[in-house]
Amino acid sequence: MKKTMFAAAVAATLALALTGPLAAQERGGTLKFARYDGSKLVDPIYAERNPDIWMVGSLYSTLLERARDGSGLTGALATSFSQSSDGKTIDITLRDGIRFSDGSPVTAADVVFSLDRARNPDLSPWAGLLGAISGVTGEGAKVTITLSRPDPTILSMLATFNTAIVSRAAFEKAPGATDQEKSAALFAAGGPGAGSGPFYLSGFEQGASMSFKANPYYWKSGADGKPLPYLEGVEFQIIPDDATRILKLQAGEVDIAEFIPFARIAELGTDPNLKMELFPSTRIIYSPINTRATRADGTPNPLADKRVRQALNYATNKEALVSLVLHGAGAPMTSPLMSSSTPMAVKTDPLYGYDPVKAMELMQEAGFAAGTKIKLTTLAGSADDATVFAALQQMWTAVGVELVAEQVDSPTRGAKNRSGEFDIHTYGWVDDIADPSQVVGWLGHTPTAKAVGTGWENKEFNELYDTAAAEMDPERRAAHFRRMQEIYAEEAPLLFMYETPFAVALSAKVTGYVQTPLGANVFEEASLQR
Amino acid sequence: MAPLRYLLNRLLLLVPTFLLVMVIIFLLVRLLPGDPAIALLGDKASDAELAAFRERLGLNAPLATQFMLFVSSVLSGNLGTSLMLRAPVWDVILSRLPATIFLTVYSVSLAVLIAGPLAFVAALNRGRWPDTVIRAVFQVGLSMPVFYIGLLLLTFLAAQLRLFPVGGYGKGLADNLYHLFLPAMTVALYTSAILMRNLRAAIIEVLDAEYVQFARAKGLPLRLVLGRHVLRNALISTITLLGLSIGNLMSGTLVTETVFGVPGVGRLMLDAIFGRDYALIQGLTLTFAVLVTLVFLMTDLIQSWLDPRLRLS
Repeated sequence: MKKTMFAAAVAATLALALTGPLAAQERGGTLKFARYDGSKLVDPIYAERNPDIWMVGSLYSTLLERARDGSGLTGALATSFSQSSDGKTIDITLRDGIRFSDGSPVTAADVVFSLDRARNPDLSPWAGLLGAISGVTGEGAKVTITLSRPDPTILSMLATFNTAIVSRAAFEKAPGATDQEKSAALFAAGGPGAGSGPFYLSGFEQGASMSFKANPYYWKSGADGKPLPYLEGVEFQIIPDDATRILKLQAGEVDIAEFIPFARIAELGTDPNLKMELFPSTRIIYSPINTRATRADGTPNPLADKRVRQALNYATNKEALVSLVLHGAGAPMTSPLMSSSTPMAVKTDPLYGYDPVKAMELMQEAGFAAGTKIKLTTLAGSADDATVFAALQQMWTAVGVELVAEQVDSPTRGAKNRSGEFDIHTYGWVDDIADPSQVVGWLGHTPTAKAVGTGWENKEFNELYDTAAAEMDPERRAAHFRRMQEIYAEEAPLLFMYETPFAVALSAKVTGYVQTPLGANVFEEASLQR
Repeated sequence: MAPLRYLLNRLLLLVPTFLLVMVIIFLLVRLLPGDPAIALLGDKASDAELAAFRERLGLNAPLATQFMLFVSSVLSGNLGTSLMLRAPVWDVILSRLPATIFLTVYSVSLAVLIAGPLAFVAALNRGRWPDTVIRAVFQVGLSMPVFYIGLLLLTFLAAQLRLFPVGGYGKGLADNLYHLFLPAMTVALYTSAILMRNLRAAIIEVLDAEYVQFARAKGLPLRLVLGRHVLRNALISTITLLGLSIGNLMSGTLVTETVFGVPGVGRLMLDAIFGRDYALIQGLTLTFAVLVTLVFLMTDLIQSWLDPRLRLS
């Protein structure tokens, strides 16, 4: 029942997001937004953390963008784009009359400058995503991108935050010796000119607040035929405490509060002054299982046997976890490698449904000694992780596992993941690009990240991943990803857990605000009833 | 000459204190598992990227070399650059310190304003109902965690009655006072409970002292006895406690700043630790050490002014 309610809520939210604003839009007003964490540097190529990445699209436009209905890519700063039959050349024509927020024109030179910056591995941590690009040239309104090898993700990349277009002139004028210093100086100074997104940065106080003002030259038009955005501006306040963020919304001091704890969703949904939105996301919560033959301390690792890993998955009642941790606002994972919103996700429902009998059989087959201790490493201070531990401890007792907890902070967990000093630990993921290659590389491809630190290695999987990376035929590529998901489900290097939406509470006066499945905060069509 | 020598001695003692603080904090942050590379580049970074980042930051150099570099840059007045915020540590601290100092001074002032008069009322009515009521109310305040008091005040006074804003810092002095009233009150309620108990006990003790009995027997008016003899003597131990409380408050602002969304150094410290931002953690700890030491020094000076015996010893 809860799952149906969740599905209905997601569907309603999606429908709202797709249909967009219907009636004549109210214009003006400044939207106040309470964030859980602040931005540090919103620059397409230096944005590393979600609070930065998710704001890039508000200040900078990309060449292409994902169609609102999810059907594919459409032009943004570009009006047309084409890829040669060998996949190694992309021709792009820029939109007529596009301008940066200070009124200066966006030219091919800006595009060349921006893409060269983005693919420079000395500058950007994201340069690897553009590794296939060997050159970018441009003149007038035409830009040509040449590739050293065909890359099926390249068009998607041109709709991704790290390839957003920045003004070359603004960078040249900015003080500083290096690109990094110039970027920091531009961000610190704020004001129009650096980007051509719906807004420009008008104020920033590190750790406290940030404000955006509408870009009068934004290239996109609203439902009323006039340029977007509808709002005059957006003001962000950083309120890390969940309860305080909600109180601020209830007191009418802000119009939107993000990252609402799942336990509060039902209560806020009944408040007539508020709207509770569950935006579909690519966020998955899972737990990597150490698959190495021995543990870090040299003792034999019972989890190296795939039957034990399968048994733990069968012994886990995911529906119960969803209701305990997410209070019903989520669903068990249906693809072993990605969220159900990620392109090419295979939906297996249920993926390891709760089956304690089968779990016990597998444990016996594997010769698992009852009472064996397994350690679950969780995040200290995380209420969700504490609940997960308590639930798993109880569920797994039935199959003879004595689950013990270890609590650490996030960097420690990261270090343990890399060194293999763990049995099982909680983890989460949100896609940064609208393509499965990133998450699949992270979770399963051994050379990328030791299959999310599990040490799992599968030759067929790795070969399929490498083949898919150069496969230009969409159907064949999807088939490769399908097979990878089959292998991964069978091998179970993870405890497959659940996916969660982005829970956002809004004042009833706000319409048109969207958080995309990748997490980006989109204000361009948001409006405020006054 | 004696007071000046006393001050100089105290100041000289600060040098080994700071050296010790530097060594401890330098080693402690490096003993934490997980390093700045993992914290900053995030889980998605490859091993090669992490290695290159560590090399660039000099994290692969021997600890002794890193420590000498740290000490020499601190001595030349440079606290380094925050990795997380890509800005000079000192600039970052300066931008966030005023909110914390403001909050601390505000809380202490409120605490003294609450605790002082009530301690006198309780002590002078020892064992009677005003004493019992005051002590009972403060006992409740003491037994509740600070974040809980904060949330209660926020829910009733800010969200429901709309008397105060829900969190934030505000701009300009009046706005700061208005925005920080609830967080300051939250801290003050707790601190005043401790101060009140101590001051009440001290007043009672002094009231029982022979010199006070004598002064009263001599026929001095109660107001004069209280002001000239009781307050001055009762304050000695309370000032020590107040100094210690300020030290605790400075480092304990973390909870209040998080609950009330105040952009101070407490929250910055938490971010720095989770971000394994070595330079920022070191800079913040040194700043805290300087501030707390200054508060303790002032406490000592006030005490030696109140109690000349301390100067002689």
